Amino acid sequence: MHKYLMVLKQYWQNIFVYRVSFVLWRFRQFLSSLMALTIWTVIFTNQEIAFGYQQKQMISYVFLVTVLYNIISTTSLNDLTGEIYSGKLSTKLVKPINIFLALGFQDLADKLLNIGFVIVESIILFLIFKPSFVFPSLSYALIFMIWVVLATLIAFMINLLFGSIGFWSRDSWGPRFLYYMILDFTAGKLYPLDILPQVIQKAIYFTPFPYMSYVQIQLFLGRLKTDQILPITLSMVTWTIGLIFISRKIWRKGLKNYTAMGQ
Amino acid sequence: MSQAIIQVKNLKRYFKVYKKQPGLWGSVKSLFRRKYETVKAVDNISFEIKQGEVVGFIGQNGAGKTTTLKVLSGLLYPTEGEVGVLDFDPWDRKPEFQKQFALVMGQKNQLWWDLPAMETFLLNKAIYEIPDEQFRKTLDKLVDLLKVKDIINIQVRKLSLGQRMKCELIAALLHNPKVLFLDEPTIGLDVVMQKNLRDFIKSYNREFKATIILTSHYMDDVKELCERAIIIDKGKIIFDGKLKKIIDKYARNKILSLVFSEEVSEKELKKFGQIKDFNQSESRYTATLLVSRKKAAQMASELLKQLPVEDLNIEEPPIEAIIREVFQSGNA
Repeated sequence: MHKYLMVLKQYWQNIFVYRVSFVLWRFRQFLSSLMALTIWTVIFTNQEIAFGYQQKQMISYVFLVTVLYNIISTTSLNDLTGEIYSGKLSTKLVKPINIFLALGFQDLADKLLNIGFVIVESIILFLIFKPSFVFPSLSYALIFMIWVVLATLIAFMINLLFGSIGFWSRDSWGPRFLYYMILDFTAGKLYPLDILPQVIQKAIYFTPFPYMSYVQIQLFLGRLKTDQILPITLSMVTWTIGLIFISRKIWRKGLKNYTAMGQ
Repeated sequence: MSQAIIQVKNLKRYFKVYKKQPGLWGSVKSLFRRKYETVKAVDNISFEIKQGEVVGFIGQNGAGKTTTLKVLSGLLYPTEGEVGVLDFDPWDRKPEFQKQFALVMGQKNQLWWDLPAMETFLLNKAIYEIPDEQFRKTLDKLVDLLKVKDIINIQVRKLSLGQRMKCELIAALLHNPKVLFLDEPTIGLDVVMQKNLRDFIKSYNREFKATIILTSHYMDDVKELCERAIIIDKGKIIFDGKLKKIIDKYARNKILSLVFSEEVSEKELKKFGQIKDFNQSESRYTATLLVSRKKAAQMASELLKQLPVEDLNIEEPPIEAIIREVFQSGNA
């Protein structure tokens, strides 16, 4: 375990070298949250109810979802494709270290660092928009936590899959951008998914995206019925296991195809 | 202990390479249909290496040297054939195996670019689970041998190429690997630094009885470090044996360096062999002749008899020239 903690520490050290870049990245995320909340505040200036939500409910939703989304989404693996394609991965592959665990700890390091900033940002947003919500009961809070962990795993696995494109090609940014765009619209980051037409909602539930922020916040706000909890949990577990299985398979295939650049 | 530590039997590693037609139209066409070609990077090679041996892989760019090293390190999956290193199948990438070897690639670095080299050393200490005492001892020794005490706490990107390479070597050797794969370790280094590294590799081999495979473009590396050489061309082994034997096998000529006391004509010299160099200026009259190995002694005595020779020297051609000839003639 010690070796993976070292990976985590080194990741931090590396980020601290480029602290301006990190701070600017956080600022961008902050602006994005600020924008979403501002737009919803404007929408509610002349009406009390929009899309079946009261202003307070909507602001609380958007506030909570931006906080959570920032924690769940993964950015530490963005360079993985290049690392694989350029052969830089070789230096890790020859060492007695589990590559998935190392990447996982790298991601954990990234998350912990981001969470620190998210807390400060949330306090500022809280003071500006004054969302109101009641903290859920202990049992709901526990389920919420489990769902967040599962969502984090799903996001990590999806990013690992994007990274594995590097075994075959250098360009992963096209599909990756598309993924982020789709995620913005289907994970409930900009609006709650239940304002969408039923057909689209149903279609979205066939993807892992609504499990990557939306359902967690609905649970947090007490907007889910008790009998919805089990099916959602099962779907998330299925997605998690399925994605772990697929990434393992693809990595195994990718490694066989790995050319480590140059002959 | 003369047991084979590295065994390679009928190893093949092919790559599928996308072949693009030239020009913009070629690029457009490639959007719909791509032609692939199979490149035989390593094509049915076999060899064994014993403990403590230092073997040089010689070959032109793309000959298959690095591919072989990558297969031996478990980075590449062999297309066909058997590979064993320290009784492990490298492809399994077992930690017990990985703790016993190191791969150093002159053109790829494991050091964290933005942090001092010491941070990478500490990370490797954790990854290879090196005990504190052993780590301290090995680090001290390596730092001392390579004279890098002052630079291991400076950001890697601020170091010179030579300093970086030395730190790369330390990072790779901290766990005292028994098997060492060095891929172009001296590339881009100046002559003095090359010599330093060579001396270091030599002493590492002696001290740890380490088995070393080295690829290099610089013949000096191979000449000084390796008794045995494996020459690879187009994925095949064309020579495997004592470096000295290459001369016996491939050198057709000897070099006769001559100094004359008075002027001689080119025409006269031609009778004795192929003129490589001819210099008749002011008071110095010198020439270099290439003479067939068998006739070298006879030609030398004829030269002494017939021409005003002041000094004569018979030499073997330099090994680089022989190898160049081997490759140019499309091998043996």
